[in-house]
Amino acid sequence: MIAQTPKPLEEILEYLRGKRKVVLYGCGGCATVFHTGGEPEVKAMEKTLTEHGKEVLAAVAPPFGEFTCYLPWSKPRLSQYREQVEQCDALLIMACGDGLQTVWDHIIEEEFGLAKPVYPATNPIGHMGGGPSRFEEKCQQCGECELGRTAGVCPQTQCAKGLMNGPCGGASADGKCEANPEQDCAWLRIYRRLEAMGELDKLREINPPKDWSKMTRPRSIEVVPLELA
Amino acid sequence: MSDLSDALERGEFVATSEIGPPKGTNIEPCLADAEQLRGKVVAINVTDIQSAVMRFGSLATCHMLVERGLEPVFQMVCRDRNRLALQSDLLSAYGLGIRNVLCLTGDHTVLGDHPESKPVFDLDSVGLLQCVSALCEGHDMAGNELDGAPDLYAGAVVTPGADPIEPQLLKMEKKIKAGARFFQTQAVYDVDRFIEFMKSVAGFGVPVMAGLVLLKSVGMARFMNKNVSGVHVPEPLIARLKEDKAKTKSGETAVQIAVETIAAIRDHCQGVHFMPLGWDHLVPEIMDRAGLS
Repeated sequence: MIAQTPKPLEEILEYLRGKRKVVLYGCGGCATVFHTGGEPEVKAMEKTLTEHGKEVLAAVAPPFGEFTCYLPWSKPRLSQYREQVEQCDALLIMACGDGLQTVWDHIIEEEFGLAKPVYPATNPIGHMGGGPSRFEEKCQQCGECELGRTAGVCPQTQCAKGLMNGPCGGASADGKCEANPEQDCAWLRIYRRLEAMGELDKLREINPPKDWSKMTRPRSIEVVPLELA
Repeated sequence: MSDLSDALERGEFVATSEIGPPKGTNIEPCLADAEQLRGKVVAINVTDIQSAVMRFGSLATCHMLVERGLEPVFQMVCRDRNRLALQSDLLSAYGLGIRNVLCLTGDHTVLGDHPESKPVFDLDSVGLLQCVSALCEGHDMAGNELDGAPDLYAGAVVTPGADPIEPQLLKMEKKIKAGARFFQTQAVYDVDRFIEFMKSVAGFGVPVMAGLVLLKSVGMARFMNKNVSGVHVPEPLIARLKEDKAKTKSGETAVQIAVETIAAIRDHCQGVHFMPLGWDHLVPEIMDRAGLS
């Protein structure tokens, strides 16, 4: 999931300065889980913006499970509000950067043919797993998963230095990372797991430097479309 | 290849020391520190943006030492340069007369004075050692042939006081496989623990130089115990620093402790690496009193 936090209201109001008619669009996926763009947040934003003199033409809160970044869902959803979108001065997207850019690129521009500003209401802070309350960053989508060699602990993501060949020597006496004392040293975790499984020999092999060309951005992929009910 | 490699390969007990370039262009005091070590230590390490605090460069300072007839150990960390820049700087270092390079991961940017900067870590210390080895074999990391290959003596670091020690030992073996030909250690105060460590690496067949950080004050000892992983200043040493404040301030206690440490470890390792942190003037005296001159 894409973890996210709400942007400060002042920043949002600054974007919307001089724009009176606004369309709000939340997300039934990650933004609902992180309370940045689910139904309650969209409703609260509608109220707040109204109090600040805005006219909210539509406050769209997709049901839980309906991701705004997934066009087969967001395109028909926003098309229901095409009239309001055409009339508004700006859209405010209460979702992550994937949601916002997908909406602007493929719905507002391509589908509707509109030149209309679309502003963000959240700060995405990482791809994380976990819940219901605590989430942790485990994977940075490097394009070449190392977990088979590293006891299921990603040294690129869990180690602040992204080391490939063992701990740096900076771990504290209680095994915490020097760059982030709340974080366990990833390489000590890898070591302990391999030790428990009797596979310490895996640590003797030199892992080559990471192939960063697999992270040349922006990346894209073609897949067979899902058959949606 | 270098005086350092020659001395270590002859099996001598070798001393090196370390200088840290300034924050700014006023390099003279740093060079004066190095001058105090002339004729005493075999080579002088120059730290590379130490502690992630932005400073005058290691490469330029090393070159200044070469110009003055002092032998540098070019410290190189992986934090600030990608593999293109690391390789380029290694070629440049060789071109500037530098022959020793110490390959380190480097402290994280968040611990330094520019915590907002983007840490690089394109390679880790093992990868950097492999990179030095590749260049010395005449090709770059991508396998392209070089028009003129460097001949560098690559070293690495290890923390003998790490707990657990096994991951350090495994990594040390990897560093050797990757091309490390000598080791300088994190600061050693706990002699018994260091000797224990040396017993476990005896089979590695690579010279190890024990790191010696001069103890300047009780506060410094306590700070290291609290904040520097793998470094433990035993209480009896702290008690000695407390005992005679004048001797601690003058550096006499630090000198005594260093001399005693050298005496205790010299049969177990192949040299010492001083990290005097500004007390460079005391290094010759320590070496004299330890019988290393």
